[in-house]
Amino acid sequence: MAVTKMIKRVKNFAVGAWSLVKGLSVTLKYCFKPAVTVQYPTQKLPMAERFRGLVGLRPEKCIMCYQCVKICPTGCLAITHKVQEDKKKTLETFRYNMELCCFCGLCAQVCPTSAIIMTDIYEITVYDRAKLNIDLLDAKKYDEWTGATIK
Amino acid sequence: MMVSVLDFILAVLTGLAILGFIAGSAMFLIWWERKVSAHIQSRLGPMRVGWHGVLQSVADTIKLLLKENIVPAGVDKLVWWLAPFFVVVPCVMVFVAIPFGKNLIVKDLNVGILYILAVSSVGVLGIFMAGWGSNNKYSLLGGMRSAAQIISYELPLILSVIVVAMNAGSLSMQKIVAAQSGYWYVLHPNMLLAFVIYMISATAEVNRVPFDIPEAESELVAGFHTEYSGMKFAMFFIGEYTNVFVVSAIATTLFLGGWHGPILPPAVWFLIKTYGIITVLMWVRWTFPRLRVDQLMGFAWKVLTPVSLLNLAVTGWLLLR
Repeated sequence: MAVTKMIKRVKNFAVGAWSLVKGLSVTLKYCFKPAVTVQYPTQKLPMAERFRGLVGLRPEKCIMCYQCVKICPTGCLAITHKVQEDKKKTLETFRYNMELCCFCGLCAQVCPTSAIIMTDIYEITVYDRAKLNIDLLDAKKYDEWTGATIK
Repeated sequence: MMVSVLDFILAVLTGLAILGFIAGSAMFLIWWERKVSAHIQSRLGPMRVGWHGVLQSVADTIKLLLKENIVPAGVDKLVWWLAPFFVVVPCVMVFVAIPFGKNLIVKDLNVGILYILAVSSVGVLGIFMAGWGSNNKYSLLGGMRSAAQIISYELPLILSVIVVAMNAGSLSMQKIVAAQSGYWYVLHPNMLLAFVIYMISATAEVNRVPFDIPEAESELVAGFHTEYSGMKFAMFFIGEYTNVFVVSAIATTLFLGGWHGPILPPAVWFLIKTYGIITVLMWVRWTFPRLRVDQLMGFAWKVLTPVSLLNLAVTGWLLLR
């Protein structure tokens, strides 16, 4: 009886010691694997295709149907347009108030010509609330905004 | 008169050199530990301050130096204030007898290894004082556990050191190194066993994982240094990493041939071996889970102590045969 107990003990010890060695070999292997860390501000992960970032506008495609304004649950979009003499409509303003936007993507979904798109821009913090409310036709301001945190 | 002044200046310079080495070594080790742990976990660790974050520890030290000195309301002031010094001062004192090279030793005491073990045991007093003085149940439990653990593991540690001392026939660190000029002691089978026992006990002595129950985060917050912040916390930290360096330096001296080695200068060989052992300790730390308290005590008294006693008896028989 005592002998079997002893054998069991020695066996347990051997298994335990071997498991320690095994554990060390695993960590050693991982030590030389490439790290998965992304050095964020200098390196960035590519965003998924359907990622919903800041709303973007392609003004030349817009037909001024106002569907985006109607569907927006928070009412963050506001459009004005004017009709020229030849009855062609042109956009005047395309206000986008990011403070209200909930990034649901309904405006992009409902847009018949895909003039509104959800971009992959996510670095959209600013120091001034007023800067969140911009005219999407003002390309320069838009670039300034989206480029502000990238640089 | 002239000689004594010169001696005094020399002593001060030596002290400064040791303190500088300790601070630099501790900062390097903290950075290195963070790097090793990060790569074991497929991370990068500090990368921003300096090349691959080498200056991170310097930045952290400056931050700790500038922090407000917070004294909790309920602490036993004297004990609480003295505790960090009781941890750091023995670490510094131990450096007196560590041989970095042939003549690169502050004082080659004829009881070198005994002196080192005696002095480094004082460190546990500091840890216990920190636990007692903090007036915090986590700290107290941490201090108690630390005292119990260090006293238990001191036994197998010293018994395995005696094996080396018996083979070298001396307690002087330099003589032990000189005895290993031909081959390292670790190549002896009974010395190999002593080396393994020494490394396990040393890991427990310096409160490192898997023997870090005095500061087990999941049970005791931070253990004995829960109430400490700023420079006092930094002193515990420096003490901890200096202790790691000291036990690895002793292992190098006793088992791995000390500063002996071809081509490179002795001091470089000594540092390579010591930091190699420290890296292995870090590797172990980031691999194994923590032991339970009862397992820990049982392991010290029921396994390590009998085995090292047996090893001692066998070594004695081999020497007297």
